[in-house]
Amino acid sequence: MTGITGTILETVLTTAFAVADPAAEAAGHAGAHGGGHGATSGGALMALIPLLPLFGAVLVGVFACFNEKSKLPAYATVGLLAVAFVLTLITYLGWNGHDPIQVRLWDWIGLEWGSGGVGQTLDAGFAFYFDGLSLLWMLFVTGLATLIGLYASEYMEHDAGLGYCRFFGAFNLFVFSMSCLVMGDNLLMLFLGWEGVGLCSYLLIGYYYKKKAAVDAGMKAFVVNRIGDLGLLIGTLLTFTTFGSLEFTELFATIGHGSTASGAPLDATWQVWAIPLLLMMGAFGKSAQLFFYVWLPDAMEGPTPVSALIHAATMVTAGVYLVARMMPLFVADTQLIALSVVTWGGAITAFWAATIAMAQYDIKRIMGYSTISQLGYMFFGLGVLATTGGVFHVFTHAFFKATLFLSCGAVMHGFAGQLDLRKLSGLWKVPGFKIVVIAMLIGCLNLAGFPFTAGYFSKDMILAEAWVTSDSTIWGSSWAGWLMLLTAGLTAYYTFRVFFRVFVGPVEYHPGDDLHDHADDAHGEDHAHDAGQHGDHHADHFHPHAPKWAINLVLVALAGGSVLAAGLYFVGDHHGWAGDMVHASSAHFDPAHIGDHSAAVAGVGDAVAGGESHAGDAHAGDTHAAHGTILGLDPHKYMYYISAIVGFVGIGVAFVLHFAGRTEAATSRADSLARAMEPVHTWAERKWYVDEFYHFIIVTPLKVISHLFHWFDKLVIDGIVELFGGVPKASSESLSPATQTGVLHDYALRMVAGVAVVLVVVAIVLY
Amino acid sequence: MTEKVALVWPEIWLFITTCIVMVVGLSPDERVRKLCSWICGVGLVVAIGTAASGPVLGDPQASGLFPSLTPYAKALIGIVGLMLLPLLAGTVDRDLDAAIRAGKAKFDAIRTNRAEFYAFFLFSLTGLMLCASADDLIWLFLALELTSLPTYIMVTISTRGTRSQEAGVKYFFLGALGAAIFLYGFALLYGASGSTDLVEIAGAFRTQAANGGLNPIAIAGLAVSIIGLCFKIAAVPMHMYAADVYQGAASGVSAMLAFVPKAAGFLAIMMICGTVGWGHGGSDSALPTPIYILLWVVAAATMFTGNVLAIRQTSVKRMLAYSSIAHSGYMLVGIIAGPGTGDGTFWDNGLAAVLFYLLTYGVTNVGTFAVLASIQRVNPDGTTQEADEIDDIRGLHRTRPHLAGAMLLCVLSLLGLPPLLGFFGKVGLFTAAISAGEIPLVIVLGLNSAIAAFYYLRILRAAYLEAPDEDGPETRPAGIQPRVVAALLSAGSVVALLAIAQPLIANSVGAAQYVAPREGVAESASPIPDTVTSVETGLAPVEISRADD
Repeated sequence: MTGITGTILETVLTTAFAVADPAAEAAGHAGAHGGGHGATSGGALMALIPLLPLFGAVLVGVFACFNEKSKLPAYATVGLLAVAFVLTLITYLGWNGHDPIQVRLWDWIGLEWGSGGVGQTLDAGFAFYFDGLSLLWMLFVTGLATLIGLYASEYMEHDAGLGYCRFFGAFNLFVFSMSCLVMGDNLLMLFLGWEGVGLCSYLLIGYYYKKKAAVDAGMKAFVVNRIGDLGLLIGTLLTFTTFGSLEFTELFATIGHGSTASGAPLDATWQVWAIPLLLMMGAFGKSAQLFFYVWLPDAMEGPTPVSALIHAATMVTAGVYLVARMMPLFVADTQLIALSVVTWGGAITAFWAATIAMAQYDIKRIMGYSTISQLGYMFFGLGVLATTGGVFHVFTHAFFKATLFLSCGAVMHGFAGQLDLRKLSGLWKVPGFKIVVIAMLIGCLNLAGFPFTAGYFSKDMILAEAWVTSDSTIWGSSWAGWLMLLTAGLTAYYTFRVFFRVFVGPVEYHPGDDLHDHADDAHGEDHAHDAGQHGDHHADHFHPHAPKWAINLVLVALAGGSVLAAGLYFVGDHHGWAGDMVHASSAHFDPAHIGDHSAAVAGVGDAVAGGESHAGDAHAGDTHAAHGTILGLDPHKYMYYISAIVGFVGIGVAFVLHFAGRTEAATSRADSLARAMEPVHTWAERKWYVDEFYHFIIVTPLKVISHLFHWFDKLVIDGIVELFGGVPKASSESLSPATQTGVLHDYALRMVAGVAVVLVVVAIVLY
Repeated sequence: MTEKVALVWPEIWLFITTCIVMVVGLSPDERVRKLCSWICGVGLVVAIGTAASGPVLGDPQASGLFPSLTPYAKALIGIVGLMLLPLLAGTVDRDLDAAIRAGKAKFDAIRTNRAEFYAFFLFSLTGLMLCASADDLIWLFLALELTSLPTYIMVTISTRGTRSQEAGVKYFFLGALGAAIFLYGFALLYGASGSTDLVEIAGAFRTQAANGGLNPIAIAGLAVSIIGLCFKIAAVPMHMYAADVYQGAASGVSAMLAFVPKAAGFLAIMMICGTVGWGHGGSDSALPTPIYILLWVVAAATMFTGNVLAIRQTSVKRMLAYSSIAHSGYMLVGIIAGPGTGDGTFWDNGLAAVLFYLLTYGVTNVGTFAVLASIQRVNPDGTTQEADEIDDIRGLHRTRPHLAGAMLLCVLSLLGLPPLLGFFGKVGLFTAAISAGEIPLVIVLGLNSAIAAFYYLRILRAAYLEAPDEDGPETRPAGIQPRVVAALLSAGSVVALLAIAQPLIANSVGAAQYVAPREGVAESASPIPDTVTSVETGLAPVEISRADD
């Protein structure tokens, strides 16, 4: 007995030490990579940032096991995420501003094959990499997740219990995955997080799993993302075979030398343009760009906090992060093929989505299309080498789009799921909705690019660069710029169309279909009936459910954040705070040398190595004389005026069509205009029939093939199997009546006959 | 003489226990009578202990064609017997006991036959053990009959219905016919060799083979003996009785019939084949051609007949009876493969595979019947009977999950699914047949294993995937806890024995060492040849040293 106990004890101890070892190793790694910049102490804290939400997910799971009915899961989540945010902030404040921090928690995948040389060793640590880019992302990811978690604690209250736990479990898991994506120090970690956020997105879109639309939307999001993910996966594998490593530091150093792992000059290879295009495919899938965007509007079926956090502020910007992170690869190609595709892909998506948004009536879907459109801006920014502008727009957009979504969510929460802008009007005068309307206004101003808002500055940085970057560097960049300028006008229009119709004007509201979710359950039938009619008498029955402290607090915080984000444009040494952050990351390159390969990559190498201060930067502010112009004017100065005018025009048109003279919720002056341009309007309202088109060219053929295979399987494959099963069965059926007579002398006779046969056979064999 | 007594100590202990059981069973006190089963258990444990310390190859007492067979074979018999014991609990006198408890009847010393039942059980096991230590044709015949005769009575008295009486009569007459056939075969063997001692017969055959071939009478004797012994193992063409008898008898007795006569039959066939040896045929590593063909055809026909006829059965007991026939077919493959010509590992020794398969089959088989014995079906007229139809175990998973779990493990083990015990039994047969070059037979074996899945999985489907039949007859637990214990014990062994599979396999290899006699053995000189001195098991080396004469 002692022997056995001893053995068990020994096993346990060995395991414990085996676990302890990597921790020691991690400290060693942190020390080695971080040098003398205090990374070792920061490293331990950094490692906690993703682990806290992971712990949160487990904790919420435990709550679910105990069937916790209170708001405890929400507050636990918010608490843990707040700590994660504070840790990120501490890491940021303790960062020296240029050198990346690396922390290796444990060896995750260590493979070696062949002779174990270059390209035959795969070493991916469970390791984190902090530079300006990942810090910027982590600040708003953890910050917004905390605030939106708090908002959701009230928003999801009707589901307290198992549903509540399910929601916050997936919520925590999402933040963990997103942290892995952003903080990972190699492409495999990024891929892990990439798939993780995809999974959580699927789980949360389909949160209302009894609603078919929600389930379908979740599946659609997942399937469409898978196609993009294939590109990312192949791109990752190609990166490995080409450069022999997936770790960012090594990867960028190799690219910096302008050669592949085997020493061949990079310019001569096909991988130099193929890898960026494949990575771009992954990015376009995750960020809902051209050809892949169809999943995002449907994803609005998820609870609004999910739409705000995952499908507006954080997850969908992962594609932008990927392109920014891998910028050295994109600019390594002297032809800049992939960046041209990114530019035009972004521009066309932005315009396309804006036209659809103009004709929609569901305010949450409008915001969904607006997100696609704004993501198009970000890609366009990256494409025309306005990396700082693109990244800054990610940051500001995260705040103001979250504000917009959460305001819409507050309306939805208050009016029993009503989202149709023809059935809501004049919320400013409804008691308890003042904060919501003000927050909405701030969000709309940002989105429309109203002067001196954060959205205005970040959009300008992108637009101006379209003309600064010459058409020969990025194919047709100024033409794409004109398209973007037009889109800016459309954006201002559709944004304020929502605001003028829903939030101001005459008071009128009809509750949505979710009445049964609310306290006045008994009258649900009446309301559903009344909802079909017009008139203010609804106020007699239906009482809007004004938001309470949590929603209001979060709206104030986010609206405030949106306003304050504008200030970030004026701080720092490199065109705003975002410029500083980009400057100290792999997204930084020297635009003066784009097209001149060796110098460009030298700049990249410097940035990664935490190089000294640089003359040029993404915004190229120091080289005015050299760059292009917009109609002979300097884009850097005049874009402020041009875009402001465009924004005013858009808002003005919305004012005239949707506010002036409007007396009821359902109609406005725009209706006659819509009738005048009938086919276009209907096509835009039906989203240009893209879903139907995809259904026709992809889903239908697949269904036909699957039916063919089904019948082949049933007739041929099953037939063969049935044959093998059928022969013994049939022989059994024919034999058993004959053999099982149960009569004694039958049996005896057969035994004797058997013996006789055997003896005869033996005799024949013998002679 | 004293050497022989040393060999049969386990049988002597069992015989003494049997006598005690018979005497105690006559007690006028009901409580004393109930001690019978406990005395049986003690006797079996003592027998297992004595058997395990029996002589092995190299000991002065060890002799015969399979000098170290007895310890393994007798321990195996004792262990399976010990597992059968709780399963047999409550088979006889149950109705009377119930009536006494209900106050409807009084204890009647004449009407109870518990003592006879347990005594016959022990007699049968004694006979089986004697088979293992047989070194003479007459001994072998008497041992075989001692094994079988008590079972005829046990079948007859196992239930109060007429079906078991019918089964008993069928079994007795057909058994007598079978015995007559192999007795005739034994007589021919004596006629061909001039001796009844197995070693001397082997020597005579070796001489004949070396001087112009075997006597045709020898071949005829071998063929008739084997075909007669096919009755014991329920192989084609002597298999007909199995389904009727297994169904008619109580489940516990059926489980016993599936193991005890079968083990006796295989031990006897091993010895009969051993007299002529596996040094014939084209490759000098097979049985004489007529015998080889005979066994080949019987094996293939038995496998196909058993499995194909099992498919259509609706009675689980009949299904298990046909599956028991099929298992005999599998084991005959091992006999055909023989002890192998290699270095004597488990992987090429077909006899070792047969001995190990007997263990796995014996242990597993108890569980399937025990599950059936633990459930009763309530007939519309209020009487109860043991579960038999497949409908009776429908939805067993929901009503009695532990029994369903035992059924699952046992059936999957019978099917030979890795990593359960049955898999290791079957894998030995496969590898031995492959190394003996019996590829067609291996294909037949594989095909039949696949067909067997058909009906085994049907049992599991009924137990696990189907809902209890609401309209059908009601089922309820039989209320005999020892039977449930037997089911769980068997299912547990299917898994637990894996932990000691390596020593078990090593032991079966040691027990299967076949010592080919030298040419023209004169008188009763030491039969131990110089050839086999050390054997590698492949799993754990077993050193077998030859004793000095």
